[in-house]
Amino acid sequence: MTITNQTRAVVLPELTEASEDRRTLRRAGRRGRGGAGGAAGAGRDQRMPLAVGSTAVLLLGALYCLLPVAWVVIASTKDASELFSTFTFAPSTHLWDNIVELTNYRDGLYWRWMLNTAIYAGFGAIVSTYVSALSGYALAKYTFPGKGVVFKVLLMGVLVPGVIVAIPQYLLLAQVGLTNTYWSVLLPQLISPYGIYLARIYAAAAVPTDIIESARTEGAGELFIFHRIALPMMGPGLVTIFLFQFVAVWNNFMLPYIMLGNDELFPITVGLSGLLNQGASLPAMYTLVITGALLSVLPLIVLFLVLQRYWRVDLAAGAVKA
Amino acid sequence: MTATVATPRSGAGRGAGRSATRRPAGRRSATRRHLTPWMMLAPGIVLFTVFMAAPILYTVVLSFQKEMVKGLGLGSGAKTRTFAGFENYVATLTDPEFLASVGRVLLYGVILVPTMLGLALLFSLLLDARRTGAKGFSRVSIFLPYAVPAVISSLLWGFLYLPAVSPFYWIFEQLGWDDVPSLLSPGLVIFAIANIGLWGGVGFNMIVMYTSLKAVPTEIYEAARIDGASERQIALRIKVPIIMPALIMTALFSMIATLQVFAEPTTLRPLTNSLSTTWSPLMYVYRDAFTRDDIYSAAATSVIIAVATFAISFFFLRVVQRRAFGQED
Amino acid sequence: MRAAFRTGAIAAVAAAALIMTGCSADAGSEGSADDPVELTYWAWAPNLDKVVDIWNDQNPDIQVTVNKQDGGDPAITKLLTAIKAGSGAPDLIQAEYQKIPTLVSSDALADLAGTDAADLSGDFPDSAWDSVTLGGDALYAIPQDTGPMMFFYRDDIFTQLGLTVPTTWDEYAATARALHTADPTKYLGTFSSNDAGWFAGLSQQAEAEWWSIDGDAWGVGIDEEPTQQVADYWGGLVEEGVIDNKPMYTPEWNAALNDGTQAGWLGAVWGPGVLSGNAADTAGLWKAAPLPNWGSDVSNGNWGGSSTAVTSQSEHVDAAVKFATWLNTDPEAVQALVTETGIYPASTDAAASALTEAPEFFSNQPDFYDVAAEAAQAVAPFQYGPNVNVTFSAYNDEFAKAAESKTRQAFLDAVAAMQQITVDDLESSGFTVAK
Repeated sequence: MTITNQTRAVVLPELTEASEDRRTLRRAGRRGRGGAGGAAGAGRDQRMPLAVGSTAVLLLGALYCLLPVAWVVIASTKDASELFSTFTFAPSTHLWDNIVELTNYRDGLYWRWMLNTAIYAGFGAIVSTYVSALSGYALAKYTFPGKGVVFKVLLMGVLVPGVIVAIPQYLLLAQVGLTNTYWSVLLPQLISPYGIYLARIYAAAAVPTDIIESARTEGAGELFIFHRIALPMMGPGLVTIFLFQFVAVWNNFMLPYIMLGNDELFPITVGLSGLLNQGASLPAMYTLVITGALLSVLPLIVLFLVLQRYWRVDLAAGAVKA
Repeated sequence: MTATVATPRSGAGRGAGRSATRRPAGRRSATRRHLTPWMMLAPGIVLFTVFMAAPILYTVVLSFQKEMVKGLGLGSGAKTRTFAGFENYVATLTDPEFLASVGRVLLYGVILVPTMLGLALLFSLLLDARRTGAKGFSRVSIFLPYAVPAVISSLLWGFLYLPAVSPFYWIFEQLGWDDVPSLLSPGLVIFAIANIGLWGGVGFNMIVMYTSLKAVPTEIYEAARIDGASERQIALRIKVPIIMPALIMTALFSMIATLQVFAEPTTLRPLTNSLSTTWSPLMYVYRDAFTRDDIYSAAATSVIIAVATFAISFFFLRVVQRRAFGQED
Repeated sequence: MRAAFRTGAIAAVAAAALIMTGCSADAGSEGSADDPVELTYWAWAPNLDKVVDIWNDQNPDIQVTVNKQDGGDPAITKLLTAIKAGSGAPDLIQAEYQKIPTLVSSDALADLAGTDAADLSGDFPDSAWDSVTLGGDALYAIPQDTGPMMFFYRDDIFTQLGLTVPTTWDEYAATARALHTADPTKYLGTFSSNDAGWFAGLSQQAEAEWWSIDGDAWGVGIDEEPTQQVADYWGGLVEEGVIDNKPMYTPEWNAALNDGTQAGWLGAVWGPGVLSGNAADTAGLWKAAPLPNWGSDVSNGNWGGSSTAVTSQSEHVDAAVKFATWLNTDPEAVQALVTETGIYPASTDAAASALTEAPEFFSNQPDFYDVAAEAAQAVAPFQYGPNVNVTFSAYNDEFAKAAESKTRQAFLDAVAAMQQITVDDLESSGFTVAK
């Protein structure tokens, strides 16, 4: 095991590299089942009878997770009075009215929030994934003095809660007049210690050192090797990092809440929470919030369904391509 | 063409030994080699320095200061910033409310982390088992809550908890159970919050474990089956030890997330008398920073939480690493 | 090859820049010194932007942009953070009266005593004017609306059960008992640990003085007879079980307003908006009455109410004052405030002409605004202190415990704890506190 030597001092990578290492060995002997699609993979033992017990347990878990979702779907069909007066799981007919009302709320502000969220989460996650990939690849595939320290310091970032840095981030960004702009929400979320940590694992596992070496022998530049060889190999892993970061930005409440004064710049979380906490003299707009919550989760679900192939295949795909 | 001097690679890392003996290295200088990784790290390091290191440092600076007022404190220039020494730290560490919030969060973690990881492990093993059905549907369903922001999920569960609007209590009523206590009553509220955390987190951890399981070649299982091992034995004796590293990492990240619980109790607080404004340590920070407008105390408490998180993570990894990997290296 | 990467990167950055500028173009709200003065206004009253549109149409030289805020607390939190940062504050802010001392002690507000706004004192009731001057020579804001408290009750349930409308707190207690006895699922009201402003209003009615200025020192009088009386009264009703102990403004409370579980509500003049938003189907079933009184003295308290303040970071104080004066005293503006935002205006004359027709939700009660005017007349003076936020969050925590324990003594203990926390905070911040 030569792999763990250089970073023995770092606790976290040692753990994962040990596991990566074993996984790589294992993968060498497998017969490429990683490429199978969802349905084929799930039904790989179709001849065997279904285990009723374990299927039931799994379905019970699914039911538990879907219950509140079902509630949102049903609640979004009710008008304000029905929400509090009819039986919880009795659907009504006001879904379209609610969507129209939500759309009319301050001239379509809700859709503006959706667009903002897409920019913050989409653009932010793409850049963040790229930055993470660069850093992770450098940390996994190069040896240089100070590497251990850099990685350790970056990792400590994982441990710092966002709420804690949000206020000083605001005070610092205010010095350069960037608060209450798109940048104030985007820039701080481009750095993801967790993303770098994952990218390092993926780079170590999915990009064989031999390939890098032979590319170098042929005279390829380092950045060329990274962009044209390493990046595609890390692809599925990068999708995972992208999704992590996308969801992290999507769910982040504190940073935009502190940074933004203008509600045309709000992401969906801050906007909906504002509708919920309208202040003493106004009732919370529950129907708008619930309908808004439902609509806001839909694109995420679609994104996950589209990208789940990569989730599933994950690291294995790198090995198949290699 | 960036470098013309041909020198052997001077790196000593993985693969370096092999390549050095096998061939004369590429046409680039040693300095170049050392520079490339730094170039690649530059965006990450710059962003980290500006948006994480600097704010953290600033937090530390703020934590040693305080604002003092004179007299009535009205009119401009009534407040002055002064050096406070460890005053803010002492104030936080001796405040029974803060200590109580730490206690609550530890209990919350003890409830949540084992439950969440246990269920995630169970589900991932079932997903990986040969004879389980409805896998695709279940996997997506269980993962789905991960996409729901904590503010929203707390609101949803809040509706499901409150007796007057909850379907559960409607069912209880039909069954003739009149005295079911509210889930938001003081004794149960911690479970109510843990449930929201569980709901949002179990799918994520399940996917991480499932991904690890997928990376295991099926030949290992075939061999075990030939030896007469049952599916359950394969799961417990082979699969669980194999994904132990993934389990440990999910445990670590779950613990960190637990210590930082904030959105769920904050969203539920207005619905009940059972949650104080300082229920969790981060709520305590939030109250100081925003309700009391005292960012100096908030900064000190933040530093305490960050240091404690770091210490706990480090300690945890030390312990489990010795246990889990002691015999392997 | 490297060039290809560089081109790609440049394209990506350029695209990003395009997206950013494209999106932020209409969000730009920095006040420029060019032709029209541009003012930003943080406010949370609904539809306030529609009132401001009237101003913008009539005043091309001073253009105001409303940035809608989540509510009173978040807006102030953000303003204080911006003040600390030295930039980022708006020109104008909607500030609740109880926030003014806090804002002043953080140097967040401009003193308007030297501007035209100083001449407006006669336009507003003394209690509102005192709130924006803090009883001194300075002027920190222009009053916008007030929130005299009122008692709302379900007329249909009262008629059905033969209950009479209480005019004193003794009668209120008796009515609460009678209602709960007649139908044990129903309550005349709830004691809400969420709403410190509500409890402050009830204490104000009992003539409490939570803060006072005593020369160069702050006096704190929370744990004194008037507030103890209020706490003891409510603690008794909650202990007896005839008044609910759950917070207001929750889905559960909404449901209770809909199905008659809550047959009464101690709210304020802005109550119709809350009721119509939460329980639209009960329109026409409610009636409003003055708040019950302690004995024979007619008195009242405020719950809510806000002002328009100019921040200390504004570079256009005169323009901001001009706008704020128009917004809160011009008949057309006040009329628009009433119809668009549903507030109860502070300006005496403008209110009288604007408030002629009862709110739609109370169309069964044509004299709604007569009752409201009566309630507004009776409001007792009340001074807020520089750490209202601390006191209010202490209220949340201490009364949550008290409401949960349902004992009279716990309510009194909660008042004592509020006093202690308030004094400790003032002293640790360096304020002089009168003993």
